Amino acid sequence: MDALLLSFKLAACVSAILMIVGMPVAYWLAYSSWRGKFLLESVVALPLVLPPTVLGFYALIAMGPRGPLGKLWIALFGHGMAFTFAGLVFASVLYSFPFAVQPLMVSFEGVDRKLLHASAVLGAGSLRTFWRVILPLSFPGVVTALVLSFAHTLGEFGVVLMVGGNLAGVTRTVSIDIYDHVQSLEYGAANRMALVLMAISFGVLGLVYAVNRRVWTPWSAK
Amino acid sequence: MRAVLKCVFVSLAISLSSARACGQEIAVAAAADLKFAMGELAANFEKQTGTKVNVTYGSSGNFFSQIQNGAPFDLFFSADVEYAKKLEAGGQAEPGTLYEYAVGRIVIWCPGDSKVEVAKEGWNALLDASVQKIAIANPGHAPYGRAAVAALKKAGIYEKVEPKLVYGENISQAAQFVQSGNAQAGIIALSLAISPPMKDGKSWQVPAEMHPAIEQAAIVLKSAKHKDAARAFLEFVKSKEGRATLEKFGFVIPEPDQGSSPH
Amino acid sequence: MVGEVKPATLAAHIRKELRSASAPSFVLDISVEVPSGITILFGPSGAGKSTLLDCVAGLTRPEGGRIALDGDALFDSASGIELPPQERRIAYVFQTLALFPHLSAEENVAYGLLDLPVLERESRVADILGAFRVEKLRKQKPGDISGGEKQRIALARSLVTEPRVLLLDEPLTGLDAELKSAIVDDLRSWNAARRIPILYVTHSREEVDALGERVIALENGRVVSTGAPMDVLDAPRRKRLAQAAGFENLLDGTVLDLREADGVMRVRLGETACEIEVPLGYAAVGNRVRVAIRAGDILLAAEQPRGLSARNVLEGRIASLEQRGAMVIARVECGVTFVAHVTPGAVRALELTVGRKVWLVLKTHSCHVVE
Repeated sequence: MDALLLSFKLAACVSAILMIVGMPVAYWLAYSSWRGKFLLESVVALPLVLPPTVLGFYALIAMGPRGPLGKLWIALFGHGMAFTFAGLVFASVLYSFPFAVQPLMVSFEGVDRKLLHASAVLGAGSLRTFWRVILPLSFPGVVTALVLSFAHTLGEFGVVLMVGGNLAGVTRTVSIDIYDHVQSLEYGAANRMALVLMAISFGVLGLVYAVNRRVWTPWSAK
Repeated sequence: MRAVLKCVFVSLAISLSSARACGQEIAVAAAADLKFAMGELAANFEKQTGTKVNVTYGSSGNFFSQIQNGAPFDLFFSADVEYAKKLEAGGQAEPGTLYEYAVGRIVIWCPGDSKVEVAKEGWNALLDASVQKIAIANPGHAPYGRAAVAALKKAGIYEKVEPKLVYGENISQAAQFVQSGNAQAGIIALSLAISPPMKDGKSWQVPAEMHPAIEQAAIVLKSAKHKDAARAFLEFVKSKEGRATLEKFGFVIPEPDQGSSPH
Repeated sequence: MVGEVKPATLAAHIRKELRSASAPSFVLDISVEVPSGITILFGPSGAGKSTLLDCVAGLTRPEGGRIALDGDALFDSASGIELPPQERRIAYVFQTLALFPHLSAEENVAYGLLDLPVLERESRVADILGAFRVEKLRKQKPGDISGGEKQRIALARSLVTEPRVLLLDEPLTGLDAELKSAIVDDLRSWNAARRIPILYVTHSREEVDALGERVIALENGRVVSTGAPMDVLDAPRRKRLAQAAGFENLLDGTVLDLREADGVMRVRLGETACEIEVPLGYAAVGNRVRVAIRAGDILLAAEQPRGLSARNVLEGRIASLEQRGAMVIARVECGVTFVAHVTPGAVRALELTVGRKVWLVLKTHSCHVVE
């Protein structure tokens, strides 16, 4: 079950990175009053409408020896970025970006502005206000963002197909593996893997939602 | 850049727009390596008979599964004769129409600006330190991939290069990997190596005896809606003109009496 | 903790443009000095009271002006000084209280002291919870705390930081009179030791009377009056302010006759034949005066009343009846137009309709002479 472990590893890495990168973006989108905000909102939402193959294709170009990211990678590590786990992570982060940012943004926006004012007047700077007021009150949104990013990455196929190169243990995720089995007419193996994936995913999601219900406090954010 | 775009999109089986021309139309499923050859065959056939040929390119294994599940093609040009044979045995093909239209050849290909002189080095090119990734088609289900692995083993370097291999979903994606520079070398179909987007690269043809023959066969499908037109196109491919076109694009034509011989 | 207490003064000269979707935009243009103690900020909604508080706290930036505390500038457009709210040491209690719903009362109160060492923080929190008599609620969340106690905790949270100024935006709305006065007492005793400027926004007359040392009346972004509560509110000088204080009727008249012995004077309303008796004021015969009467102080009679103690009975006709919620606004024409409030039940019982002849009854002391 190499492929399964790889898929989970990818999903975990990507979700973690998306939380770290996505929160500042979501924060800015929620609280900025810049007129051009809609531009960034559109860019963030792009991966929702682009076919994964298109995204994967452009990611491959960017990671290639002539692309900006590829050049940097080669300079730093001496080899290309495509066909590596890091390459998958990069492409997947792009692909799942809106799935993390949008729930976070909505959650942040939902926090009563008066609470933010109160925090400021009581001497808390932006960081402390974020950590102690915004984040705790946005907890449901954070969980949603995390779960969506994780699940979305787990099921990814098109992007991985474009940039992975199908290397066992490195870029052969479970979705690619199932596809390979189908291509080689090994329907039995494909079926077994698919069922295992479904069962584990369902278990993980179920656990998260169950825990989330108990953790959610019934106070309203308003 | 645009050439690569074309290569990728078409070879990942984005179907062509449906024809609006009057007269008949046939739907052809063709292996990825036929991209350029089939284009010319189809155009010439249409000019001569008025029948439009709509071609979808992809991996033979993929098409096989789809056809088994009722995909509405009239003709299947497989890169592996085994798929065609299986369809015939399974009753999904018109009996007696199986035709081995070409024998595929593989080459080692490097981008034009590569420092590696692959024409001189041959197999040693793959051992060069600057070659970090070598793209081949997936040997699990692509005949060109299987041939590449067989040839590598015959050349005695498979163990050494295996860690460097990356697998394309079909031979076209393998070609795209190396064309875009993400892989520094690739073992790809001759027909793709001499095609317009790739002919400026450096290549070395792998001797045919180093791998089992890549017998490529076509077959008319039982589910075909336009059987007569399909047979007509197949006859066209068999004709002198058809064979000349295939040869032009890097395919070796087997002797006529080897049509449906076991491999 | 607090050494020699020097009374402080907050000086605010603010110019701020207010744009809102519903109301036409206007400019807040004020210049006030707020000394130690409680100053009430009074005015109709939309006058700019909350904006004024937001500017002082640093939550909104004025277009121009200067806000200083004892000479230390918090904001000065001329020299580009603008302290963020975090650094102003100004406490602000919002109308909605804005208690953090996910923190306990204790944690809420401790929020402004997070930079202090734990022991000192805990002791100050305990002290103020005690002073405001809510220590038993320390572990509870705001959602579980009711009415007046939430206000106390909000006050405690703001005051535990030993602010230099306290801003309160209608903090006691919705509480009953007893609770209000209890909280006000606690606030007073807290301020007795510290004597900081406190700006208190309210609409309620009772709060003004209970609290006010000074009142600043704001209308349309401008200060229209400052002074003792009685002066500012009981003798409204401006029509809108009078209406804000509940006087729907403002009538111009001429003094006809003074009766010192009875403490009244007769006033002719407008150019009409209507004459009413109003409390004696500093006026001479022939002076022009303004009389303010609350709509709620006017009685309507369907037949000519007799034997009433009220000295003013005027005959007129109903010009319009408009129902607003549980109240009917009746306009009665008797040479001048009066606005009276009656209940829908009364309208039905007296069969009041437009055009009907009615009598207005006004007590002398319901008529307030303005200037």
